[in-house]
Amino acid sequence: MPTIVACFKWVVDEVYIRRGAGGALDFSSVDYKIGEYDRNAIEEAVRQRDAGGGGSVIGVTVGTPESAKGVKDGLSRGMDQAFFVSDPSFKDLEPSQTAAILAEVIRSRIPQYDLIACGEGSSDLYAQQVGPRLAELLGIPCVCFVQKLSIEGGRLRAERRVEDGVEVVEAPLPALVTVLPDINTPRIPGVRDTLMAGKKPVITVKRDELTGTFEGALKTAAMTASSLERTGEKLAADSAGIARFVDSLRKSGVIK
Amino acid sequence: MAGIWIVAETREQAFELLGAGRLLAPEMETTVTAVVAKGSASPQECIARGADEVLLLAELAPGEPFGAQLPVIEQEARASSPHAILFSATARGKETAARLSARLAAGLCSACTALAFDKATGSIVMERLAYGGAAIQKLAASAAPVVITIPPRSFEPAEAMDGRQGKTRELPAPPPSAVKIVERKPKEKVSKDITEARVIVCAGRGFDKKEDIALARRLADALGGELGATRPLTEELHWLPEDLCIGLSGVQVKPELYVGLGVSGQVQHMTGVRGAKVVCSVNRDENAPIFALSDFGIVGDLYEVVPKILEKLET
Repeated sequence: MPTIVACFKWVVDEVYIRRGAGGALDFSSVDYKIGEYDRNAIEEAVRQRDAGGGGSVIGVTVGTPESAKGVKDGLSRGMDQAFFVSDPSFKDLEPSQTAAILAEVIRSRIPQYDLIACGEGSSDLYAQQVGPRLAELLGIPCVCFVQKLSIEGGRLRAERRVEDGVEVVEAPLPALVTVLPDINTPRIPGVRDTLMAGKKPVITVKRDELTGTFEGALKTAAMTASSLERTGEKLAADSAGIARFVDSLRKSGVIK
Repeated sequence: MAGIWIVAETREQAFELLGAGRLLAPEMETTVTAVVAKGSASPQECIARGADEVLLLAELAPGEPFGAQLPVIEQEARASSPHAILFSATARGKETAARLSARLAAGLCSACTALAFDKATGSIVMERLAYGGAAIQKLAASAAPVVITIPPRSFEPAEAMDGRQGKTRELPAPPPSAVKIVERKPKEKVSKDITEARVIVCAGRGFDKKEDIALARRLADALGGELGATRPLTEELHWLPEDLCIGLSGVQVKPELYVGLGVSGQVQHMTGVRGAKVVCSVNRDENAPIFALSDFGIVGDLYEVVPKILEKLET
């Protein structure tokens, strides 16, 4: 019966980010969510547990104390328990820092596991680094961009999607995978799932319970709104609108 | 020796990364080293395009993944301490770059779209997209090495120059990897490369069923363009091949004209068409975000509007 670790991140829902004065990012009306790709990681961990006839899924997340909502959200998606590594300074961490913190928590507090599942990237930075970095720090095999996964006899078999096709790979467990969105369809938690989530164990790990220094390697010099806005002329679907649309296409010089 | 390193699996990658590396090397008054897979770019080609040194990766045994080269690359990097190591942001490149960064305790700028050396601060300054493309993150690296991945076709490939000289060295074969490839499934049908298309008609979730995509194809044909798609159509519904998926997790395109049909305009998708000269759209929801991100668009049902556009185009 497998023990599976699922890593996830509570992130800003980018839909609510506005472009503020002078190109600054306006976070004043944002909401938060579990990263889209991390939902696939949690779902896959839960499915592999169930396919393995039991076992457990342990969620691990790193964030500020405000991310507690995300821990409950994660637990409502089928995980059995969660480690919440929390500190006010764990804001805007670099992927290298997140991976180092996850590595220390997993090494020191989860003595035995078969698989670690991560999303292919976070919904906010989408740097796609934490999974493979974590595998290296733990010294375990790593298979990224997995679209199909099975576990048998202490080994995993995975379909990894690469530019020129698919590589079917095998690796001994414990190992780490990062999963693509089409590996599964994440469940939508119901009322019962949410109620049950409140009863599942959460182990909070504080900054001073960890020994690492977790220093960053790069400096974010600026984070500014990108401008995708255009003139945005709206036309009606009547004959005048169609005529103007086609006329504009012709004027663009792209078509004759 | 320090320097700028590029690690390439294919010839195309090598030329583009050499182009990017040459943006840094002269400013930093340093050399360029090309670490390339055998059978990709030849040492002569790399040297002509700016490499001062070529390190040839040994041929992999059958079943060994590209990541197996990691210990060899790590050892060489430790020995020569480069300032920067550039990879292509392909599946294998991204994974290998992240694993190498962890081993070297290095910073990694993923999917870098602009880079320069800032003489005043002595740091490499890089740009990338964040928050699904809603933001531009500017990163600075002052400590060496910094690892950088570059999305394919982001930089101009290096041109060959006459009379250049350089050294070539063969690297040892790596130890066997824990991960083994047991089967390779090449892409059944390679769909059209839409990154170079002049006109792209993109189908979005506004289409009710797979057969209806024919309407988008008809418009693409009428405009002399190619068909593209949003992520739900390729990843969830599998109506179109994944190569046609435009956006942050798909391809970045820069056509003269982009026409979004039934595309809502999520930032993750629209960031993939930021290089388009003209963006227009048809969507029945007048509040769809795509209108603000278009030059012009029709508020209406694509099933009624597109046939009318086709008719008008014929007159």
